[in-house]
Amino acid sequence: MQFGGGPGFRACQTASVAFRSDKHFVESSTNFKLVEPHTHQAKDFSGFQTRARSGFAVSGCHCPPFRNACKNRASRSWLDAYGVEPPYKCKSLQLIPRKTDSMKKITYVLIPTLCVLAVSLLAFLSMRDEVPVSAPAEALETPAPVVTQERVCLDCHRYPNVNTNEGVLTSQAQCYECHLEKKRSLRKMDKRTLSLQVTPDTFDKNPHQYVACIQCHTDVARSPHKTVAGAQCRSCHGVHGEGTAHDPHLRVACQACHRKSEFVRLDPEDHQIKLAHTDDKGQAVALTDHALPDDVQEEKACQKCHNTGNKVGAPVAVLPSKSFLCIICHNAPLAMGHFIFWIALLVFIFGMFVMLRFWFQGSVQGEEESMHRKIVLSSEAVWETLFSRKILHILKVFFFDILLQRRILKESVGRWSMHSLIYVAILFRFLLSFFGFLHFSLNPESSWALALLDKNHGFTAFIYDLLGLFILAGIAWVMIQRFILKPVHVKTEIEDNVTVALVAILILLGFGLEGMRIEITNIPPDMAAYSFVGYPIAYLLSLSQWDWAGLYAYVWYAHALAAATFVAYLPYGKLRHVFNVPLTYFLEEIAGEKRR
Amino acid sequence: MESNRYENQICVRFCVLHRLLHIGVMITFTLLAVTGFALKFSTETWAQGLISFMGGVPGAGWLHRVSAAMFYLIVMAHLVWLGYYKLVLKGHLTGPHSLFPQIKDFQDLCQNFRYIFGKGEPPLFNRFSYLEKVDYWAVLLGMQSMGITGLLMGYPEFFSTLFPGYVINIANDLHFHEAVLAVGYIAVVHMSATHLIPEVFPLEKSIFTGKTTKAKIMKDHPGEWNSLYADEK
Repeated sequence: MQFGGGPGFRACQTASVAFRSDKHFVESSTNFKLVEPHTHQAKDFSGFQTRARSGFAVSGCHCPPFRNACKNRASRSWLDAYGVEPPYKCKSLQLIPRKTDSMKKITYVLIPTLCVLAVSLLAFLSMRDEVPVSAPAEALETPAPVVTQERVCLDCHRYPNVNTNEGVLTSQAQCYECHLEKKRSLRKMDKRTLSLQVTPDTFDKNPHQYVACIQCHTDVARSPHKTVAGAQCRSCHGVHGEGTAHDPHLRVACQACHRKSEFVRLDPEDHQIKLAHTDDKGQAVALTDHALPDDVQEEKACQKCHNTGNKVGAPVAVLPSKSFLCIICHNAPLAMGHFIFWIALLVFIFGMFVMLRFWFQGSVQGEEESMHRKIVLSSEAVWETLFSRKILHILKVFFFDILLQRRILKESVGRWSMHSLIYVAILFRFLLSFFGFLHFSLNPESSWALALLDKNHGFTAFIYDLLGLFILAGIAWVMIQRFILKPVHVKTEIEDNVTVALVAILILLGFGLEGMRIEITNIPPDMAAYSFVGYPIAYLLSLSQWDWAGLYAYVWYAHALAAATFVAYLPYGKLRHVFNVPLTYFLEEIAGEKRR
Repeated sequence: MESNRYENQICVRFCVLHRLLHIGVMITFTLLAVTGFALKFSTETWAQGLISFMGGVPGAGWLHRVSAAMFYLIVMAHLVWLGYYKLVLKGHLTGPHSLFPQIKDFQDLCQNFRYIFGKGEPPLFNRFSYLEKVDYWAVLLGMQSMGITGLLMGYPEFFSTLFPGYVINIANDLHFHEAVLAVGYIAVVHMSATHLIPEVFPLEKSIFTGKTTKAKIMKDHPGEWNSLYADEK
């Protein structure tokens, strides 16, 4: 059988559909129709039903989007794709019962074929029995349920398989039925009329060309036909890490950066920054342009929000991301960030080399001259310690004397408390940040990773503030000891003052920044209250009318500079004890073991 | 017995750096194989279990790329060592006691087969036998092509501006097939040739301790023995 389409049917030249058995016609429920693109007149082929689940083969299609479907000769939803509205049509379609053809041609295998058919029919019927497709008896007895939920249109209407090209285009075509024409896609929103027209000319230029509309607009295929949630980018894409966008901009909707529209707003309900539906003059903006901006990675794109006098609470300057060095105290990406951190890292590595050279100046197991021999001998000794029972002693020293600081506690409880306030807090901040970094790298969508990444999350805000306060308290204690009480046994050198001042500046700037961030971004009090240090600071800052959004960048750079200095200073000044003291303890332990 | 005299005489066969690098390669190679095959066969149940353990497909992918970067850092560290060995220690990168292929390796191979079939004496291996050399070069060269195809797949947007798109597909195929080859080689040849030897089974410890006995050198590497310790005889 052949059905010729009108001359207006475009795209697909010829297609043949061969049905193995008439059985499939009976099974299906949807009528097959072809639609003329300009007049929208449907050619109805009632009786030739298309929802055959299987058992047909397709050939002879030259329509580009469906080429894959045609190659795959058993594609299931192919007919769905051909039963669609514009823009994809068939010029003609052939339905050729394969069974009659083969009977004519190969009469001498008629009987075996019939046998096989009978067997397969039997098998098919028996399979049908096993699958409870419907239970009519029960359905008659139970009264029809009262519909209280929203009805999902696609529950009753065709649901194309959106994991295939043909299903995607079918799905898109369903949406195009209205959205293709301006007249049919006019909507009223807040008494403003706007057009939600989307045409293939514009839509096909965007990277989501082969993605079904309902894959992103998950809540539109229902009644009433209205989007509430907006396009769901994160059902496929993960959030950015710190390296791409500062604190991954968790309060900013994807579209705010990744769409061309330049009007943004702060949604007071969920406190997210989104694209605005009205422009500066109050005119309605239809967000139908699906093309992505090319320059989203450039600073210019960020200036959509990061400009003077913005209303969404963004700092004026576009700041670089944190560096991996910041992981000592913050969640950080696997990137170096600003160049000052590169300098800090190089200075740090150089300092470590100088320190190593200093360590190897003495003789190693009698070797005085050759550096190579010294390294060989000492590394051999370390290796033998690691892979022997001595490692247990080392672990013991590590746990008691380094983690728990037992030796300092034996000397003085006060000194231990002071030192632990600083060191344990930094250690915990590092461990939390490192765990967050690792967790985010492995599973970016997990709620833990996102909670640790989000500065406004209750746990993260509270614990980082608490630990920061501990460090500050420890530093204050040190300062009181060294500058006010001045006990006889405490000898203060310039090195000590530099170290203490550096850490103090780092922490104070950090708290200042936190306060400014809360003040600028206008985080609602119930969310900000967890930052029990930052929120009062934000309140104090809000009393003065300074331009905190403009100042934020300067304070941020000052904090970053202090952090870079801290890292660079590690192997030079007083902070060298971080490496020296544990090493000395280990060596003492090994030497002591030998003597015993 | 002459060998008894050397049974307890220990000498260093691998320096600490080489032991470390070997452990590093062991860990990263295993991680690469596990994550890579789990991703390739992601429709299988065992792979899905593994992948969910590693935090989903993005996590497994991240682990694969990080392990690959670590592996390549190890290769680079080895190359730096070679430079140091040549320039500072004035060692020889070629010659009978190096890993550089020699005609003798081919002769050893033939000799070994003659010996296995009872037609002659066992070959006198130098410091590295031909199988050990194959182990080494398989990793060193294999990593280059794995690295290149991996980079092609990792940054398809960039590389498809330089090459036609099908190069990415070719890289994908080569990467997988070479992975099968590498894992097969390690699991079958390296494991059996190194560890499945009656004297050392189940584990040849010298690459971990770095030490071996003179008796063992005399037996496994008689060529090296003859030239290095000949004067001790």
